[in-house]
Amino acid sequence: MRSIEYAFRQGGASLWRSRESSAFAVLAIALALIVVGAMLIVTWNAEQLLARWSSAAEFSVYLRDEATSDQRGAVETAIDSSGLSNGREYVSKAEALTRFRREFAELAELTSGFDENPFPASIEVRVRPDAQHTTAEALVKRLMGMPGVADARYDRDWLTRVGSGLGTVRAAGLALALLMAVAAAVTVATVVRLGLRTRREELEIMELVGAPLAFIRGPFVAEGFLQGGIGALVAIAALWVGFLVAMAWWGTDLNSLVGGGSVQFLPIRLCLYLIFGGMLVGSIGGLVAAREAA
Amino acid sequence: MIETHHLSKVYSRGLYALRDLTLSIEKAEFVFLTGPSGAGKSTFLRLLLLQERPSEGEVFVNGQNLATLKRSEIQEYRRGIGFIFQDFKLIPTRTVLENISFVPEVLGVPAAQQRRRAFQVLKWVGLQHRINAYPQDLSGGEQQRIAIARALVNDPVLVIADEPTGNLDPDLSLEIMNLLREINAGGTTVLVATHDRELIRLVGRRTITLDQGKVVEVA
Repeated sequence: MRSIEYAFRQGGASLWRSRESSAFAVLAIALALIVVGAMLIVTWNAEQLLARWSSAAEFSVYLRDEATSDQRGAVETAIDSSGLSNGREYVSKAEALTRFRREFAELAELTSGFDENPFPASIEVRVRPDAQHTTAEALVKRLMGMPGVADARYDRDWLTRVGSGLGTVRAAGLALALLMAVAAAVTVATVVRLGLRTRREELEIMELVGAPLAFIRGPFVAEGFLQGGIGALVAIAALWVGFLVAMAWWGTDLNSLVGGGSVQFLPIRLCLYLIFGGMLVGSIGGLVAAREAA
Repeated sequence: MIETHHLSKVYSRGLYALRDLTLSIEKAEFVFLTGPSGAGKSTFLRLLLLQERPSEGEVFVNGQNLATLKRSEIQEYRRGIGFIFQDFKLIPTRTVLENISFVPEVLGVPAAQQRRRAFQVLKWVGLQHRINAYPQDLSGGEQQRIAIARALVNDPVLVIADEPTGNLDPDLSLEIMNLLREINAGGTTVLVATHDRELIRLVGRRTITLDQGKVVEVA
């Protein structure tokens, strides 16, 4: 405990003494974490949107025009008894036509030339958010084989594609972040090593008096740790300011991009991960330099 | 206290700093190690402080074979040794008190005890009034007395001094030697490397003379 207290006292003093060169290390860590943080803001908001879309998943069962009410009843019973439905709505042929005219007003004229209503009646089913994708698909296949059913649509493939695209973005961001973290750790190690050289005599004396390694190396690790922590705080502050500016300029566009919801800044949990990550990178840089001390 | 058996230290190109050195220093003894420049005095002290490893032979300090010590044991071993160098080796960014209390501090002694012990040794070397001064504000003699205080703050069993009077005038040199004699009178083994023959004559203790890495005289 005493060695930790000593390490942070000496590390803090060293950080202050070499504040100009330390600013480079802090900046390197801040830049790395700004990249990571920006990527996290994008992917986190995309994940929230994806989760909303997933929970709003539904499928439609289109009925033949000649389907009897018994056949429709059998389909509805199959849906209700599957345990996958979070609610359903019967849309008659007339309602389907009205809905088309309302939602595609510019195409409404096209429908006036028809002799009869071309839209089929359907049952729209909201899938429970906790429902398994494969189970829901199996139900849809079963419904398609039932009498009176013309077709059924359950298109979740695009959600899967968006999800995997998001995974790729995340992996690329992580690789970039890792690269920048290594660069930041090297910068910290270089800056700490500079401080170490100016304290060479002090370290020699510490070795000669028999100071434990924790006392000799600890201050350098603590210095890197502090640089990392400050860098992370700088990064979060910069991200916050950037977020506010972006929202002030393009808030409406960004909000519409996420389906009418509001784009959110990183939650506290992810901010804490960033701070922890910065401290870890700084400590690794400090430790690499400290190995030269003794 | 110190025993060496056929101790040798070879540097690059086969240059011997010490060659087949066998000697013994008793507990609570005050011994001078002398000889011309390059005789091997400083090399011998560096081997005792484990700043270097011997090429051949063995060194025993307090019954401990130094060759068998692991990294953490080396640090523990060094805690029992006080060292004094010609260039004082004081930390310029720390005050006199901090330069001394730094030793118990890095050994994990509680703060109040560090300061008390540091003040005691400072009083003993007669510099208790300079506790807040920085090394660069002190004379050479004062700096060496601070270095002695630092060597003593941890109650060592052995004090090693490498040319401790090399930067001092004859009066100050004798003053420093008197302090070392006092330390020795308390039961601490003192080993002083010096080429100052006059000082050795004035203090009058056992003297081991080295030349070209070999013992040439014990008087």
